[in-house]
Amino acid sequence: MRWDDIDRILSEQEEILPSSGFVNSVMDAVRQEAATPPPIPFPWKRALPGLIVAGLTIVLALVAGLVPLFREVRALPPSPTLVLEFASALEAAKSVGAGWIFLALFLALASLKFSMRLAGAKS
Amino acid sequence: MSANEDQADVDRVLTGDLSAFEGIVLRWQGPLVNLAYRFCWDRGRAEEMAQEAFLRAYRALGSWRREAAFSTWLFALATRLYCSELQRIPARTVPLDEVTKMRDPRAPDGGLEKRDRDGVIRRAVLTLPSKYREPLVLYYFHNMDISAAARSLGMAEGTLKARLFRGREVLRKKLQPVLTMPFLKKEAG
Repeated sequence: MRWDDIDRILSEQEEILPSSGFVNSVMDAVRQEAATPPPIPFPWKRALPGLIVAGLTIVLALVAGLVPLFREVRALPPSPTLVLEFASALEAAKSVGAGWIFLALFLALASLKFSMRLAGAKS
Repeated sequence: MSANEDQADVDRVLTGDLSAFEGIVLRWQGPLVNLAYRFCWDRGRAEEMAQEAFLRAYRALGSWRREAAFSTWLFALATRLYCSELQRIPARTVPLDEVTKMRDPRAPDGGLEKRDRDGVIRRAVLTLPSKYREPLVLYYFHNMDISAAARSLGMAEGTLKARLFRGREVLRKKLQPVLTMPFLKKEAG
């Protein structure tokens, strides 16, 4: 069997006829769609200032949290092993409240995702 | 003729005449259902997918840029939908090993009739990875018109050609057990 035969077999495929109720079914769905009120768009104009402020706050919190963290890590005496270094870094992170910063970031992201999903479900 | 009718119907729908959409459905129901059928080999599912394609076309009618033919736009929209639907729920396919087991060895033709063989080859396309399956389905659906298939898939012709070449190689390997059956050997020689 050559490729010409396979080409012919794949080109000459049986044609099926749509069932008799297909057009009516499509038109019913279209009418239903047309009767549904248009979705309320996400109020980007109103939300934008809030989003910008939230974004800036997150960046500032991140910078404010990370700068002292790096300073402390740098100020720590060099540890002989990698495990000790990791432990001291963890300790330093704890002292500046990195956990709370990450929790706040996570909650902000989760609430943003949730509101986006709600807006998407409505549209 | 059809292009003018499409344009007139689209204009009417956009001005609020919903009944004009029926003309579009009547003209394109055959191609859209058949294209879906080639992706899934299930009549019921093909109609469901085609219906969803028409519904999406209705929603997005305003976004049709008139530089391209309505049919090109419609096929591209339907192709995108069918591909994503099949990624969500893949088509049911019979493994080729099962097909070779199913044949009746006592039959004079080796147990695989021409009709069966054609079906095996067509269904083998569905077992290919999507990056090869989609170009092959579209290429044969558009009667081996590379540019039409590329437009429907929204990819460059060169990319499509490369995928067709690679897809055919994979298909050839997959079909090896079927091609070595007695009946097919006879025809191959």
